[in-house]
Amino acid sequence: MPDRPTVLLPIRILEGESVPEGVPELLANAHVVLLGYHVIPEQTAAGQARIQFEDRADAKLEELGETLADAGATVEDRLVFTHDGQTTIDRVNKEVDALAILVPNAVGDVEDVLVAVRGTVGSDRLARLVAGLFGDRDLGVTLFHVPEAGESDADATTLFEGLIERLVDSGLEESRIETQVSRDADPAEAIAGAAADFDAVVMGETDPTVVTYFFGMPADQVAERFLGPVLVVQRPPPEA
Amino acid sequence: MSQPAPEGTGQNVEGETPEPEPEAVTDEVTEHADAQLERTIGLTGGLAIGIGTMIGAGIFVFPGLAAVEAGPAAALSFVIGGIIAMLVALPTSELATAMPRSGGGYFFISRSLGTGFGSIVGLGLWLGLVFASAFYLVGLGHYVVAVLSEVGLALGAVPLAPHVVLGLVAGLALTALSLGGTENTAALQNYIVLILLVIIGAFLTYGGLDALGVFGRTRAPEPFFSRGIVPVFSTAALVFTSYLGFAQVATLAGEIKRPSRNLPLAMVGSVLLVTVAYALTIIVATAALGSGRLGTAGETAMVEVARALLGFPGAVLILVAGLFATVSSANASILSASRSVYALSRDALLPRRAGSVNLRYGTPHVALAMAGGPILVLVATDQVELLAEVASFLHLVMYGLICVALLVLRRRDPDWYSPTFRTPGTPVLPALGAVASFGLIAFMNLASILVGIAIMIASYGWYRYYAGSVELRGDF
Repeated sequence: MPDRPTVLLPIRILEGESVPEGVPELLANAHVVLLGYHVIPEQTAAGQARIQFEDRADAKLEELGETLADAGATVEDRLVFTHDGQTTIDRVNKEVDALAILVPNAVGDVEDVLVAVRGTVGSDRLARLVAGLFGDRDLGVTLFHVPEAGESDADATTLFEGLIERLVDSGLEESRIETQVSRDADPAEAIAGAAADFDAVVMGETDPTVVTYFFGMPADQVAERFLGPVLVVQRPPPEA
Repeated sequence: MSQPAPEGTGQNVEGETPEPEPEAVTDEVTEHADAQLERTIGLTGGLAIGIGTMIGAGIFVFPGLAAVEAGPAAALSFVIGGIIAMLVALPTSELATAMPRSGGGYFFISRSLGTGFGSIVGLGLWLGLVFASAFYLVGLGHYVVAVLSEVGLALGAVPLAPHVVLGLVAGLALTALSLGGTENTAALQNYIVLILLVIIGAFLTYGGLDALGVFGRTRAPEPFFSRGIVPVFSTAALVFTSYLGFAQVATLAGEIKRPSRNLPLAMVGSVLLVTVAYALTIIVATAALGSGRLGTAGETAMVEVARALLGFPGAVLILVAGLFATVSSANASILSASRSVYALSRDALLPRRAGSVNLRYGTPHVALAMAGGPILVLVATDQVELLAEVASFLHLVMYGLICVALLVLRRRDPDWYSPTFRTPGTPVLPALGAVASFGLIAFMNLASILVGIAIMIASYGWYRYYAGSVELRGDF
């Protein structure tokens, strides 16, 4: 069995956010970094909030960690008091070099997973995640690709073949892998649309641009419409 | 990564002990045993806090008050204030990089000179900020009155002066916003400071060129020392309130990213920038109107300067800028005062519940009330110069002791003291900083000095009564 892939699971620990149903099973083969964070207003010093809330937050975090561990995951937890949630998620993500961040939404039994493939760049981490999480599990994996303008179906097939070979090498049965191509102009739209037939989505992170600044990251758009768990594969940390 | 600061020991009369110190401090977090505290303020944020706190007073409240006392040489008063601030900002930077923790000057002094001095400075810092906020709010009141009279509304028939009523309303509103507001306003504060800098920059450039005679207006030049030399120093003592903001950056040291780089840059940078801006403002203002007319215009003299230079649009621009600047100064000081209360309660010098956080909004309601309440009382007194001087007095005591703390730590060089920024010119410059800080106090009004001393004695008395066995000083 391949190494356990590291997945970052950020939870707003004191706002009633919890590990949604089905997520512990989804992450059974992962090494989960459970990040409990609490966003405090500027008027409050982070240390001030710690004195008051640490015990409660710690107990909650432990409880959530046990749920994940009971399902089979190895768990490492962090408790952070912060004025800016995104800064905290980004920092911890960099520190633990997570393969993916999970946008936690509830799910029933996971039987079919949609894996959005952008290109060869980053497919190494995508393959490691998918093989690590689902390699020995009895579920279907559908590779999904939205070709760019000028990209032929043959190109898409080549892309799929490379990835399938890697997944099979890492222990995934070839019979469980399917492929699907969409010609939608908007990849986020296409993924969200296709996701309706699946239980969970794996997709890549997008570089921030002017468009993502105004309309949000495709991963967030998908998570918002799909309402199920989305694993967002992270870029490798830049070489120092 | 710096060494953990010394642990506090002992307990107060309620049996509370100082909170344990964090295990480690890195560029990005303060590491406690089971939790991390994220550092979220960058260099821009640090500069905005320093500049935003300072610029309100020096440019928009003091020019009239200062010019009438010292004449055009009031520019020199501001430069003297700036030099003293710089002499203190350098040691403060060194201490802050060695102990990047909330509480700033209070934290450094309690860890190096002991709990007695720590209490005097800590309680003094809280009350000093309360006096400063009240001063900014009275200034704000004057600006609102000026805005209203500009649109033809005169307020009258109230038992209190209109600007006091408006100052009270603003103080109440700011406290309420801090209590219930959960929106993060850091970005907003940065933009306000940027807009202020643009307005002030444009105004000073135009006014400076005009003062040089570029636009062909000629005026009878006023002698630089038109009021003599001694008032230059007493005015420096008065306007020193315009230089309190850099210490606020140190108060937030626990929340600043890459503290060893950002803390010194933010403190030294903001002092440099405002010193230049203040001195230029006085030069432009006295050239445009003369000290006598500036004095008559009082707290909103800058509006008259802008009117003389640029007509009605100029007056409106400066009015708007003055509103923003005084609000941002008052707000920053209220928040810093609340942080100081927290730092004291963490060390068991005030009841732990004084730093407690409201479950609904996540805001420190007790500490904010302990800032907002006394501020309102002080605003009602309407004693602008007394408020400013007492605020300066309490800060100057802290500044002097910061310099002493630096000298003590350098001499003893304990294991836990490993600053990444080192003050140049030690021991001469810090010693000079201490002498100058304490010396400036001598130029204040007797009333301000007496109020300041009374607060120091009361602070020490509180420590002996409430937390006599608490020891915060590190091993030497």
